[in-house]
Amino acid sequence: MSAVLREGRVILFGRSCFSQNVANFLMPGSSVRSLSTTTAVQKVQSGRYKVTRDRSRPLTYEMANQPCQIAHRKSWNSWNTTTLYEGLREPETAMDDVFIRKFMTGTWHNLIVSEVIIKRQHNMIRIAGIVQQKLAARKMYFLIGYCEELLSYWLKCPVKLELQIVPDKKDVIYKYI
Amino acid sequence: MSEMWVRQLYRGVQGFRLHTAAALTSEINPAEEEFRTLELKTVRQEKRTMRDRKLTPILPPRYKRQKLDQNWGNVWPTARTFHPATVPFPVRQGYPATGQPTPDKWGNAELMKIPNFLHLTPPIIKQQCEVLKKFCTPWPAGLETPAKQNKHFPVTVSINSYLHSSPSLRDARARIVTMKVSVKSLELDNHGRDKLLRLVKDHHDPKTDTLTLVADRCPLSSQNRDYCTYLLTVLYTEAMKTEPWEHEKNVADYERYVWEGSLSEAAARAVFSARDDSPPEHVINEYAKAVVELHNEGEDDSSVSRYRESVLKLVGLT
Repeated sequence: MSAVLREGRVILFGRSCFSQNVANFLMPGSSVRSLSTTTAVQKVQSGRYKVTRDRSRPLTYEMANQPCQIAHRKSWNSWNTTTLYEGLREPETAMDDVFIRKFMTGTWHNLIVSEVIIKRQHNMIRIAGIVQQKLAARKMYFLIGYCEELLSYWLKCPVKLELQIVPDKKDVIYKYI
Repeated sequence: MSEMWVRQLYRGVQGFRLHTAAALTSEINPAEEEFRTLELKTVRQEKRTMRDRKLTPILPPRYKRQKLDQNWGNVWPTARTFHPATVPFPVRQGYPATGQPTPDKWGNAELMKIPNFLHLTPPIIKQQCEVLKKFCTPWPAGLETPAKQNKHFPVTVSINSYLHSSPSLRDARARIVTMKVSVKSLELDNHGRDKLLRLVKDHHDPKTDTLTLVADRCPLSSQNRDYCTYLLTVLYTEAMKTEPWEHEKNVADYERYVWEGSLSEAAARAVFSARDDSPPEHVINEYAKAVVELHNEGEDDSSVSRYRESVLKLVGLT
């Protein structure tokens, strides 16, 4: 009795019985074991945005490319040596990255329009990102200095902010979905 | 009664607006005093427009003010995230959306993510090399070939240091020190070499005749290096010494078969003395060599045939 279970359908000698949860060639009370199956429910939903009816949802390049496109069409946001063979301090660096991202997003209120990019070189942390031009230049300089100073004290490393200013947040929109 | 307080009182009232609210907050209009109107619908007030912000003038990009023959090293001295207004040339990166061109450099996070080498253009590298040249000394004379180098400096010490992108520069592997010495350069006699090789066992590589000492027992690499030097000194002095009990070594302890003074030589000499005829030296040496090879390297077809030939020559049957 050859039964190939594929996506819930039981195919027996080339004939297919339509999907049922239990193999239907077995009588109840039989002494043969069977599998209880459903249709495959393993849809990947990470990093994917739903299409709107009127194509009104704007997506940046980062959002438009799903996580499976990393290293194909997208690059990484965190650059460090922790993931290399015998690299040290991986969990602490990951937690530091989470903290930096929350801090940056919270300090620059609704101003950062890209992901926060964190690059580590030796003991220097370079934070990059795209910022809207909503603030006056003096306020921006203050925020840059504030972030660099406080983050360097918290993380015990020299921190440098390398921001790109964009006049309008529409400039980073890649497509509408 | 303050205006604000009154306004708060009537704030939640929706659906109809009492004329009394207007009466309390502003002067009563004499024309409407007689007949009050009941307005069921709320008339939407005009949206208050936000006051016009002073639009910050968007300056032209910086590269428009750069001269064509500028020193690029001054513009981009160190590794820096890509900045589109400072980089003079157009560059595009990204997968284009349908019907769109490849995304350009403005507002392009992908260009910012990847490392760029704009701080290491060939003219800048050349410039930096010129500056570094004054700190360099020429290669010492007399050390041109590896043979000469090994002759004058037979000891090699290797210490690795490790870099990480982290606030700490400690790595436990940095204390490991490897010292390599060519045993030939120690110029030991047979006894000394034999004794040294017995002492070091696996640390000696017979193919390259190098002795490798690895030390990681101390926390600092300088301490491990000193320990390696100490180990080498001790091994050498011990190899040069001859203990009184070493004279108790007999033929069974020999690590290799030696023909001189063996039973095979005694037997051959006995045969020659019986015959009163000694074959020439080179024939005896060939026989000795064949016997030594059989004992030390083991038997196989070629060595057995060599032994056969040498025996026939020795006895004079060829």
